[in-house]
Amino acid sequence: MLNLPRWQTIGIITVTALAVLFALPNLLPSRVLDHLPGWYAQSRMNLGLDLRGGAHFLLEADLRSLMTERLTNLSDSVRSELRKQQVAYKDVNVEGGRNVVITLRDEAQRSKALEAIRAVDPTIAISGSGDLIRLAYSDQEVAKKKKEVIDQSIEILRRRVDETGTIEPTIVRQGDERILLQVPGIKDTTDLKRKINQTAKLTFHLVNEDVAATGQNIPANLPATTSLVPTREGMQELRRTNAKAWEDIQNANPRMTPDQICRRFQPQCLPVLKRVVVGGEDLDDAKSTFEQQQGGRPIISFTFNSAGGRAFCNATRANIGKRLAIQLDGEIISAPVVQSAICGGSGIITGSFTTQQTQEQALLLRSGALPATLSIIQESTVGADLGADAIRSGTTAALVGTAMVALFMFIAYGPLFGGFANLAMLVNLLLVIAGMSILGASLTLPGIAGLVLTVGMSVDSNVLIYERVREEKALGRSAFSSIATGYERAMSAIIDANLTALIAGVLLFGFGSGPIRGFATALTLGLLTHLFTATVFTRMLLSTWVRWRRPTEIVI
Amino acid sequence: MLWKPLHLVPAGTKFDFLGKRRFALIASTAVNIISLLAVFFIGLNFGIDFKGGIAIQVRAKEGPAHLDNLRSVVGGLGVGEVSLQEFGDPTTALIRIQRQDGGPQCVAGAQRIMQTRAGEGWQVKPGAPETGDVEFTAPRPLDGANWRDAVSRVGLTILDRQLPRGNTPTAKVEMTHEQRAEWCQQVAIKLVEDAIEAKYDLRGTESVGPKIGDELMHGGILAALATMAAIVIYVWIRYEWQFGVGALIAMLHDLITTLGIFVLFQLDFSLTALAAVLTIAGYSINDKVVIFDRVRENMRRYKKMGLIELLNFSINEALARTLMTSVTVFVAVLSLVLFAGPVLYSFSVAMLWGVVVGTYSSIWIACAGLVYLNLRPEQFRREDEKAEKAKA
Repeated sequence: MLNLPRWQTIGIITVTALAVLFALPNLLPSRVLDHLPGWYAQSRMNLGLDLRGGAHFLLEADLRSLMTERLTNLSDSVRSELRKQQVAYKDVNVEGGRNVVITLRDEAQRSKALEAIRAVDPTIAISGSGDLIRLAYSDQEVAKKKKEVIDQSIEILRRRVDETGTIEPTIVRQGDERILLQVPGIKDTTDLKRKINQTAKLTFHLVNEDVAATGQNIPANLPATTSLVPTREGMQELRRTNAKAWEDIQNANPRMTPDQICRRFQPQCLPVLKRVVVGGEDLDDAKSTFEQQQGGRPIISFTFNSAGGRAFCNATRANIGKRLAIQLDGEIISAPVVQSAICGGSGIITGSFTTQQTQEQALLLRSGALPATLSIIQESTVGADLGADAIRSGTTAALVGTAMVALFMFIAYGPLFGGFANLAMLVNLLLVIAGMSILGASLTLPGIAGLVLTVGMSVDSNVLIYERVREEKALGRSAFSSIATGYERAMSAIIDANLTALIAGVLLFGFGSGPIRGFATALTLGLLTHLFTATVFTRMLLSTWVRWRRPTEIVI
Repeated sequence: MLWKPLHLVPAGTKFDFLGKRRFALIASTAVNIISLLAVFFIGLNFGIDFKGGIAIQVRAKEGPAHLDNLRSVVGGLGVGEVSLQEFGDPTTALIRIQRQDGGPQCVAGAQRIMQTRAGEGWQVKPGAPETGDVEFTAPRPLDGANWRDAVSRVGLTILDRQLPRGNTPTAKVEMTHEQRAEWCQQVAIKLVEDAIEAKYDLRGTESVGPKIGDELMHGGILAALATMAAIVIYVWIRYEWQFGVGALIAMLHDLITTLGIFVLFQLDFSLTALAAVLTIAGYSINDKVVIFDRVRENMRRYKKMGLIELLNFSINEALARTLMTSVTVFVAVLSLVLFAGPVLYSFSVAMLWGVVVGTYSSIWIACAGLVYLNLRPEQFRREDEKAEKAKA
């Protein structure tokens, strides 16, 4: 019973070796890691924010008032459309944040009214009868809108928080209307909150075609009406080729104007008229779509509100053939040539774009302000020194705990069997660390507590086996037989004991949030790997030893 | 052999554990009743995870932290109940502030912050009483971007559509009462920051708004119930029903007394503490299962033995393992108590108690329970006979 087939032995050794391999980057000092290939050295457990320091926010989007606002807009449009179609109505109201209710004066005009409504929004769900018409966004529509808002907020947050692309924030959706934002390594959250709250500044300007200016030859006498603005590609190019300049721009205080950047660092720039044709506050929406004709190229379509539409119409009519620069946060993201007067309140931007580019640009255009108010419903910040303290105390506790348990096992079961137990415990610990590295789980302070508990509990199966072996030996069995029987008899208790603890671990993981998660991950992984070390690893050790030494008597 | 294994628990002990079961029953019942009364009348010291509120860890820039001074400074900010404790070492203090309800003093606090951080001329007033709106007045007209920048100093976001066109001297941020209550946690943190910044470094802050607190509380209760149910069902399926009930009673015993410990020492009952409680539930059952395993095995082997004798025999047989495992876990947890720092302190202390009480209850609650639950060795005899007949 104790003997293992050869393939199992090989399997066990392979798993153990892999565990050591995967766990190693977490344990080696950084001096050694520097000499190893990067992909290997970097495959380590992430440290949780409580250990590395940083800020954690749970943000909730106010989708209710957003929906109410949308319904108000809808009711406005319906009202004007009804008036246009000469449908008499008593009332158009937003009701309960979910519906728009229209009361007609004359039931006979119902079909005409419905037609008008469909003209405003063909997807809206219509109910009610007689003189009453009830409009509501379908549940799907509401869900879609919610998702859009959260996705857009996440994108904006990413853009705002990670301007430089170096701080690796975690920004993920949590449930229907929440966003989890974790920013490692920052302490001053005031600045972060200000960034979250910033709005991209979007403006449309005409390009001054009379001045020929590219990066390298800046005209000496630029008219006062014109200023230079770097293009987005130009800035990206600058960032790639001149890191120093990029840093100077980021750190400049007060911030450098686009014109100053152009003159000083000479990225690719365009001369644009300072006068703003239309501002981003007048942009209602921007979408990535496809052209109707000409093979369906990906394009960006956008809509203005009425004021913006009028201004845009006048400007485009007067400037056909000229370029219109779209400036976002001091960079020109695109400068398409005006093909015709754009007067319908909406327009398109064409160019040789890929779908991905149009999606990105549409997002950038939309990403002026956050689409909904975000309130912080949970916040925690951990200073870097506090995190360092936590690492230090956690490591001390883990080391001391492991050493004490190991010492105790040595004393209780002697150098040989105590050694087996401690080896199994060590392999178990390495397996957990390897598992967490592979899963990309974060190690938190409660996670360290979970590891320490795993250490304490993982020698339990050896204790069970050894105590059983002692009993069998006392009954007068031979050395080999008492080990084999002891092992076998202990097995059912080992499995039961682990499964009950595992149930607790899994449920903790399932229901738990925040700190509980980290703890449950370590504990659950520990129990799972323990099943491996208890059932097969220890068995391999014992059987190999028995076959090798063929003991007539065991000291246990 | 370098040294001989030490038999910490001698083989073949013959303690009459269950002879003392009445005494244990009375003592345990008393302790449990006291624990329950303590939980209901004194109450758990809920951490901000569940109650909502703010915790700020500060370290004195020079010398030790003066708790009395901090208490009077922070207490005078109008942020409600404040409690302070030394945290880890004498230079560090943990300031805990009750959950903010978003009343008028919060808006007044926001005005103080604006005046400190953005300039004297600022005014902040509550809007119409049926809403949670807040009205800001700037010393000079501001445009959209400047408004956003300004209000973000008090942790607010303002949307373009909430602002009139052009430059305006006032802006109204629309909120519901609930949203204002969430925001007021931010206000309180900033007030404390401004008040003590000169002498203390803020090492870490944590704030939990009312909404999340309630959710976490529900989630926690659900997790606890689900864990207990799942474990008991497992034992039930795996063993006879008496074992399931015995294990359940013992587990409740362990959990209730653990809660008693939380009340007695006024340990912070946070999410991590809840994790400790649920882990104790798992550990407690783990310990019982090993003894139950023995009991069942012996019931088959010694069919003529009386129940109490048989239970005593099984407990004695498993005693070495029970104590050894308890000691290893105890040692590991002890190192957490001693070295893992103040954040894990409640968790570790609770776990330490759980290990001790879990071992006790395996013997005097779970096994003694089997006696009172009328577990009959004959049941096994009949089952085994049936099984044998079926085989034949």
